[in-house]
Amino acid sequence: MIARILAAAFAVGLACAGPAHARDELHLYNWNNYIAPETVKRFESVCQCDVVQTYYSDNEELLAKLAAGATGYDVLVPTSNAVQALIRGGQLKPLDKLALPNLKNVDPAYLNTPFDPGNQYSVPYAMSTTIIGYNDEKIRELGLPTDTWAVIFDPKYLEKVKGRVTVLDSANELFAAALKYLGYSANDVDPAHWDAAAAVIRKAKPYWAAFNASSYIKELTVGNIWLVHGYSNDIFQANQDAQAARRPFHILQGIPKEGAVLAVDNMVIDKNAPRPDLALKFINFMLDGRNSADLTNLIGSGNPNKDAMRYIKPEILKLPAVFPPPDFQKKLEQLKDLTVAQRRLRNKLWTEIKASK
Amino acid sequence: MRRRSPWLRAAAIFAYAFLYVPLLIVVVYSFNDSRLNAEWVGFTLDWYRKLASDTQMLTAAGNSLVIGLVASFVSTVLGTMAGVAMHRQRLRLLPILIFAPIAIPEILMGVSLLIFFVLLNVTLGLVSVALAHIAFCIGFVAIVVRARLAGMDETLTEAARDCGASPSRAFRYVTLPLIMPGVIAGALMAFTLSIDDFVITFFTAGAGTVTLPLQIYSMIKISVTPEVNAVSTLLMLLTLLLIIMAAKLSPSLFRSEGEAST
Repeated sequence: MIARILAAAFAVGLACAGPAHARDELHLYNWNNYIAPETVKRFESVCQCDVVQTYYSDNEELLAKLAAGATGYDVLVPTSNAVQALIRGGQLKPLDKLALPNLKNVDPAYLNTPFDPGNQYSVPYAMSTTIIGYNDEKIRELGLPTDTWAVIFDPKYLEKVKGRVTVLDSANELFAAALKYLGYSANDVDPAHWDAAAAVIRKAKPYWAAFNASSYIKELTVGNIWLVHGYSNDIFQANQDAQAARRPFHILQGIPKEGAVLAVDNMVIDKNAPRPDLALKFINFMLDGRNSADLTNLIGSGNPNKDAMRYIKPEILKLPAVFPPPDFQKKLEQLKDLTVAQRRLRNKLWTEIKASK
Repeated sequence: MRRRSPWLRAAAIFAYAFLYVPLLIVVVYSFNDSRLNAEWVGFTLDWYRKLASDTQMLTAAGNSLVIGLVASFVSTVLGTMAGVAMHRQRLRLLPILIFAPIAIPEILMGVSLLIFFVLLNVTLGLVSVALAHIAFCIGFVAIVVRARLAGMDETLTEAARDCGASPSRAFRYVTLPLIMPGVIAGALMAFTLSIDDFVITFFTAGAGTVTLPLQIYSMIKISVTPEVNAVSTLLMLLTLLLIIMAAKLSPSLFRSEGEAST
């Protein structure tokens, strides 16, 4: 009897599993919540097709999956250093610029980077910076600065907020911040400088509540954590949540004067894309100012599209962490990939940091 | 043993609390009127309303369910066969082949299956995920069934054969009903394993195939909303229903008779 029920369920399942799709489909492999639903609808009506999204939550996931040979994706949205890895692995299709007239909307400051010289394979989609986020009420009360990495690393300040601070659980991000604090480049590879950075991190570690990359948004909103090293999008989200929950405080973004990490996500086309024609159409569509602005208005992401500015909410436009003023922009750096030997050294230092008391 | 010690009762309460309180919290917070799963604000059905119109989440849940049912059904049939074969014959190679997928790290299995599917030119999608799940579930079902067989009185089957039953009839009417609790336990285990598997599913799912764990995991970055609680609550209800149904259809399934008399 049970077997019969299961068999029936199986039959129903198969019936549901294979709907006869006649409409065109664009397969987008994206970060979750990284395109506004209304943008998707608009594109679907323009192209007379369905957008099918699959998600990853880490560039490494995307790289691993493609390296193992998974296919079926049209457009991917990797971060710059992952773009470089994909180009090196020969996994991308060169872009036909003639099909991308909207490329003219992109701010030249974000084009022709060392990751993809001449933008043969990629165009910038959206970006974020790794900065300081803080609870305005508490930090003002304590009289702490919010424009320097010292507040995250210097015990002089940290002792006032002991146990109320989190930093990202990412060796690359945290080393970059520490290197910046010490006055080096985020991409500095001198082992002596790395040792110095590791020492800074080790000294500050006892004051931190946690290495946290996922739930610090919530902790900020609730008011358990007052100070974080985190992504600009997340800090924006935390403030939105705090206002929606009618908290008495704001979660603000602090931009460190020493500089910070910039992460740019780019649209690229998979070498084995089933529908490269739709992929190009989609990329050009997303380069349109209005469509590009939707995402910024939704999640507070940085936007490399000049034409998008007039559609973006003014309160987001004036956030320096999202739209960096020129003097801060000069101090932003995109993280480069490490060599195998460098990665090994960094992992060793990171393990020591994690294990230390 | 009529009188139970209060310690035993306390231990039982603690164990059940440990198992069920987290689930209860998930259910309670699915009715919470706040985007944050942090504190109770007020009662609402908004998350269920939101879920009803969230085709992506529903598709993911549907996919998980279909894959779970198919994988548990097929792996139960194959796993039972494997369990019986291992019990009856002293085969050397079979146990290794059956149990290896349990011992192999999931990530290894996921990557190898992906490479295997790519080599065979199998389009990645529901079918590839279901096949992968069947592959790792068979071993678990086989273990449970074999354990059940080991505790069974072999003379019963022999008696049936003596009375003139063919081997297949003896299996159908004597052995199978006796090991049924093991088979059902194996099926439920396979269903649970399949429905919450992340690693293997991640590698074997193709473009556009999303299961519930994949969907939830990708949401972690932007913080999980109570909509996930809502969909989890519905899934729990469904699973509970399935178990109740199984118990109703065959009341002896969840009782371990036999043990008491021996």
